[in-house]
Amino acid sequence: MALALVETANALLAPLRAPSDRDWRGAAAEVRAGFQPGDLIVAAPAWADPLLRLHLGDLIPISVAGRLDAARFGRIWEIAQRGAQAPETEGSRVAQASRHGALTLRRYERPASRVSFDFVAGWSDATVLRVTPGGEVSWCSHLPDRFECPGLPAQSVKAELLEIDTSPHLALATQPAGQATTVIEFAHVPLGRELAVGAGLHNVWLRKAGKGTVKLRVLIQGRPWGQIEAGSLSGWTLRRFDTSALAGQSPSVRFEITVDDPNARTLGFAAEARS
Amino acid sequence: MASTDPIGQATRRRWRRPWIVPLALALAASGWLLAMEGQQGLARDEAQYFRAGERYWGWFETLGEALREGKPGRAFSQTVVDSFWGDNHEHPPLMKTLYGLSWRLFHRCDCVGPKQGLHPIAVHKHRTLPLFPRESTAFRFPTILLAGLGVALVYGFARRWVGPWAAAGAAVLSLAQPHTFFHAQISCFDAPIAVMAVLVALAYWKSLRSPRWGILCGVFYGLALATKHNAWLIPCFLLVHYLWMRRGDLLRLRPPRVPLAFVSMATLGPIILFALWPWLWHAPVARTREWMQRHMQHEHYNFEYLGRNWNLPPPPTQTGRWLLRATFPFVSTAFTVPVTTLVLAAAGTVVLARRRRKGAPTDEPTLISPEPPEPGARASWLRPGADVDLAPGIFLAVQILGPLATLAVPSTPIFGGVKHFLTAMPFLAMVAGVGLAWVTHQAATLVQPSLLRRALPAALAGLLCLPAVAETQRSHPDGLGHYNLLAGGFAGGASLGMNRQFWGYSVLPLLPWIKAHRPPSNRIYWHDVLHDAVMMYVRDGRLPVGIGDLGVGEPLVAQSDLGIVILEKHFAVYEYLHWEAYQTTRPTQVYAHEGVPFVVAYQRGAPPPRQEPLPP
Repeated sequence: MALALVETANALLAPLRAPSDRDWRGAAAEVRAGFQPGDLIVAAPAWADPLLRLHLGDLIPISVAGRLDAARFGRIWEIAQRGAQAPETEGSRVAQASRHGALTLRRYERPASRVSFDFVAGWSDATVLRVTPGGEVSWCSHLPDRFECPGLPAQSVKAELLEIDTSPHLALATQPAGQATTVIEFAHVPLGRELAVGAGLHNVWLRKAGKGTVKLRVLIQGRPWGQIEAGSLSGWTLRRFDTSALAGQSPSVRFEITVDDPNARTLGFAAEARS
Repeated sequence: MASTDPIGQATRRRWRRPWIVPLALALAASGWLLAMEGQQGLARDEAQYFRAGERYWGWFETLGEALREGKPGRAFSQTVVDSFWGDNHEHPPLMKTLYGLSWRLFHRCDCVGPKQGLHPIAVHKHRTLPLFPRESTAFRFPTILLAGLGVALVYGFARRWVGPWAAAGAAVLSLAQPHTFFHAQISCFDAPIAVMAVLVALAYWKSLRSPRWGILCGVFYGLALATKHNAWLIPCFLLVHYLWMRRGDLLRLRPPRVPLAFVSMATLGPIILFALWPWLWHAPVARTREWMQRHMQHEHYNFEYLGRNWNLPPPPTQTGRWLLRATFPFVSTAFTVPVTTLVLAAAGTVVLARRRRKGAPTDEPTLISPEPPEPGARASWLRPGADVDLAPGIFLAVQILGPLATLAVPSTPIFGGVKHFLTAMPFLAMVAGVGLAWVTHQAATLVQPSLLRRALPAALAGLLCLPAVAETQRSHPDGLGHYNLLAGGFAGGASLGMNRQFWGYSVLPLLPWIKAHRPPSNRIYWHDVLHDAVMMYVRDGRLPVGIGDLGVGEPLVAQSDLGIVILEKHFAVYEYLHWEAYQTTRPTQVYAHEGVPFVVAYQRGAPPPRQEPLPP
């Protein structure tokens, strides 16, 4: 009977505890007042993100929403409810906090990684080619918005916003060729202490339709440095490769992409050289 | 039917007419649903059934014309039959036919004006009984009436084991579940097949002692087959009970007789299905096979469960994922049925489990009508339960666990949603009714004044149904996104990564805004809102005639100037397509329920947000 009363009371009162539009506007106004270019704004829990963007979406450009990760952001605004904390803010110091009804606004600060090269933003610096198992090389044409490779018209390399693991990722997209290796090479990359690489398969329908596993090999100055495998269930895989031995140098960084079954596979990957 | 209440007190005059209470319950249930359905958006599948229902009605009009012309055979040619009944033939016709008939009878006709071209068949000015202001309500009316019947049936069924107040409580609890309530308002098949499952089960139960009900069981099974393919499983669950009930025969290595109910289901069922489904008439075997194969080889839908998007069967090598998949119907039930109902069902389970255990104290006072074996009776195929205990506990357990277990098999397509085991819910409510009777019985031992003791069953039934009713009312119109007290409501369900919605119904609250902000180009992208649904919103007067609809497909987002996106986990890609097309991540409208977003709308070139200074 006590349970019945508690459940009834909860049914009546819980709707009143949800954040109101006024709460959101109050938190948004405070963010606007203190926002600096380069800040990141996140919602906790993440399902509130559409409401966050309704109020502050003009401060969240596509490049930020589709970020590789949050390492490059030194200041993070978090609008939270129900005691949640965004994963982007873990380990950060709270520099500012306030309540807006059912919402808690916190500004976190932490040392930000300095990105010495963004492989997505610098996509046009790359050289893209296809290599058959027999060693035959075919070059992909550099068009204003993409590289177009021989074969199917859809087979290209392009920086675009992808849906990987049902999240947005601004990444280099490519459809791996069945037999050949797709090579994306950057000749002179100013390296820092680490090379962060994220990869996964784009588009929920393609992930459902295809079966192949895509391999992304990372080579620095021709030496294998690491590998990421992307399948239908692997989501967005983020690896941080230690490049401290090459920090301050500008070697070539080469990404080699192969697949066992190319049907309905679009790989997206992003990378940043960081110090 | 026994007429003594579970506490064993006086017979009540008001319960003597057995049809009054179920009728009142049915009317109250249908009234509640009718009062609420107008806030419920049109579900994707529902919109197709509107269209099919209207087409099926078109065949009856053609038949009428053919009869008037003295050429009735013309309406039965394969070409004519298929031109009407070929629409949406992956589902059987009974409910769609009723939807079409209800629409024809009860809609308010403005059919010859600018909306004339929006119908899937040629229409003229109709003479109707315009009960409802919206055409969609007229389509939905059969489901709503059937849901009322379901509530009455639960009362009647539960009344075999518990007193009137507990049975009435069970009836209320069968509808007062947010997900059930959602489906009970709309022109789909999930609430109707749940009612049919109760109807067939009730007939089977009565057939154990009455051959008349054995015949009726087959008739009802035919109607169930004509409602939805879930009906295929009903005899399996009944068979498990039958074999358990006659386990004595099996132990003696004597196969039990095939009872009339099963013979009836096996013969009358297909005959009635065939008679009701003209699409089968010209190629019954091939088309029945096609219908069955369609559902045996059904694709895996996308469905969010515990933070993952599931759309493929888990690989056998991934044991953890395989096991997690199997928990889906049980966890979903635990998180969607009101908690008080679950606790009552747990109490009822204990009562039913202890009922026949040797040496243990019994709960017989809670159960008023144990229906013991008839003295001297001998079992026959006409009365196969005459000489044995009818085992109500096992009966209810199988009706509940059967549908859940079917959906738990990892290789079963991930259909998604409570709707696919909704047939379990009326029986769960019956067990909760037994629990309510037990609580009443226990409480009665603590209350001395006779006046209070008499009021106790009604008071407890009201009190213990209240949370379920309150939760259901709270959930409306987004019952699919509602999760119970254990999960933490809408927000808790979202945080747990449970599915929020499907079928694109949730756009309804945004329609006035879309109407007001219709772009001059009229290029609107209605994500997951089918053209049939958009047209019905127009016919209902909720959208203007001529409202744009670019159609389905990712490339069309770039051509739009206003777009909506239904927020399901696997639909994220459509939101990103809008970001790229409109070069912004900022929606211009968000529909949220208790702070949980359901739909976002984007406008190309929308003005920047207002920088309103807040009052201090």
